Amino acid sequence: MELTRNITLGVYLPGETFIHRLDPRTKIVAAGLLVVLLLFLKSYQTYGIFLLFTAAVIIAAGIPLSYALSGLKPMLPVLILMWVFQLLLYSKPGAEVLFSWWIFTATDAGLHMGNLITLRVLFLFTVTTVLTLTTSIVSLTDGLESLLKPLQKIGIPSQELVMTMVIALRFVLILAEELDKIIKAQMARGVAFDRGNFMQKTRKIFPVFLPLFINAFKRAEELIVAMEARSYTGGKGRTKMKTLHMGRVDLAAGIMMLLFCGLMVYMIVSIKPQL
Amino acid sequence: MPIVVTGLHHSYKKGTPFEKKVLHDLSLQINDGEFVGIIGPTQSGKTTLAQHFNALYIPQQGTVVVNGCDTTDKKADLVNLRHQVGYVFQNPDYQLFASTVGADIAFGPHNQKLSSGEIKIRVREAMDQVGLDYDSFYKRDIFALSGGQKRRAAIAGVLACRPQILILDDITAGLDPQGREEIRAVIQKLHREHKITIIFISNSMDEVAELAERIIVIEQGRILIDGATREIFSQSEKLYSIGLELPEVMVIANRLRENGYRLPSTVLNLEEAIDSIATALDERQVAE
Repeated sequence: MELTRNITLGVYLPGETFIHRLDPRTKIVAAGLLVVLLLFLKSYQTYGIFLLFTAAVIIAAGIPLSYALSGLKPMLPVLILMWVFQLLLYSKPGAEVLFSWWIFTATDAGLHMGNLITLRVLFLFTVTTVLTLTTSIVSLTDGLESLLKPLQKIGIPSQELVMTMVIALRFVLILAEELDKIIKAQMARGVAFDRGNFMQKTRKIFPVFLPLFINAFKRAEELIVAMEARSYTGGKGRTKMKTLHMGRVDLAAGIMMLLFCGLMVYMIVSIKPQL
Repeated sequence: MPIVVTGLHHSYKKGTPFEKKVLHDLSLQINDGEFVGIIGPTQSGKTTLAQHFNALYIPQQGTVVVNGCDTTDKKADLVNLRHQVGYVFQNPDYQLFASTVGADIAFGPHNQKLSSGEIKIRVREAMDQVGLDYDSFYKRDIFALSGGQKRRAAIAGVLACRPQILILDDITAGLDPQGREEIRAVIQKLHREHKITIIFISNSMDEVAELAERIIVIEQGRILIDGATREIFSQSEKLYSIGLELPEVMVIANRLRENGYRLPSTVLNLEEAIDSIATALDERQVAE
């Protein structure tokens, strides 16, 4: 029984590789670009190239491939469901019918749509996971803050927003650990989470989620007090112990990203989409 | 109902870059009616070991057999096993969820699918055992309880399943002295009057020395020493070497002995300390 084993989002895997040493801003912008690119990918060929690129990044960052993929495991049911929905419900005029079942008709257009959308979600998840696996929470915050600074001029409290986001990310793991303990405490009193019909299973959620929520609120309150005790009053006027520096690695990474984006844009334009 | 552990290995986050060996080729046996203290530095694997006893962890390697039930057996009735082996967690907030004390304690028996009459009997009995008055606490709001009362409610919630073995995972940590005293009295009564096997994980040497009859010292996932309480605390060098302390009364007795008082080499609790110090003082007066 270990829930935290399968959570890779928000976990930092310390290392000394090229990817780890990049300025967080470079990594955030690169990840952002990749996410935007993903939204425009509509052919298997482009996804193939994208796969090669992400695989290269994962290997360069020294992340064990099995570990990078293990985070997908809990998402698998949702992905499969999504794929089935697309297959059965999406169609367009002139599409070739693959098979019919009850009131559903599966077409090749639905099949492609299902495949591409599933791939897109998989890659969205992988890109963000690689970002957090190679960037510590502190540098992630610093990077985001620095990138969002211009927004302050138009009255958006960017530093506070970043702080909120980072705390949320941090809480994912903490809550998973607590959930683990709560589930064990209830299992110790004889709850069989895998037994019973749907209604019985649903009712078993309460003994787990009530303590989880109560503890989460308690934790949040303690965190507020701890922050205020150290005179946190929001982002204004805060200075940094570590200042960010762009270096040669960032230039190299930037050039690589540009080349990759160029290639992808060329492929998007020239290859006939499967959709 | 003995617990037999053979060649148990366990790694935390197995198969990830964070993999860490927690238990290493551990074997032991715990017999019926024993009061066993498990001590060791933090992160030594005490909790992980204990959670194997009621199948919250299934052995990755090796076996754990509880009352003839092998937890690695895929057909074993683990839910039934968990009713026989109660586990009280350090933090009662992980366990308590119902709105009233009574409803929360009834949760375990309810899972056992007992009749409502039987559940009521169990709840009353469990509240009795931990010293929570049925009439005044049954309808009490969980969140209006004090720290010590919450722990007692949590223990009652486990006792209501009528376990033959009770695992207590550092349940006195963070309590005020009065709360500790209350819990200590409850544990002692459970062991003496109800003959429940107790496995007591603690970071307080004073409590372990006072309560446990046998102690298992765990260090880095292995058993360092295992024996009768008196025997364990006579090996003070070994305990100090892994960062553990001696019970406070023993430290005082040792100091007195260094200063020429004739005291036994191990003094485990306050009563023993008072008796032996009084005797030593008498002897000295006679000598003078």
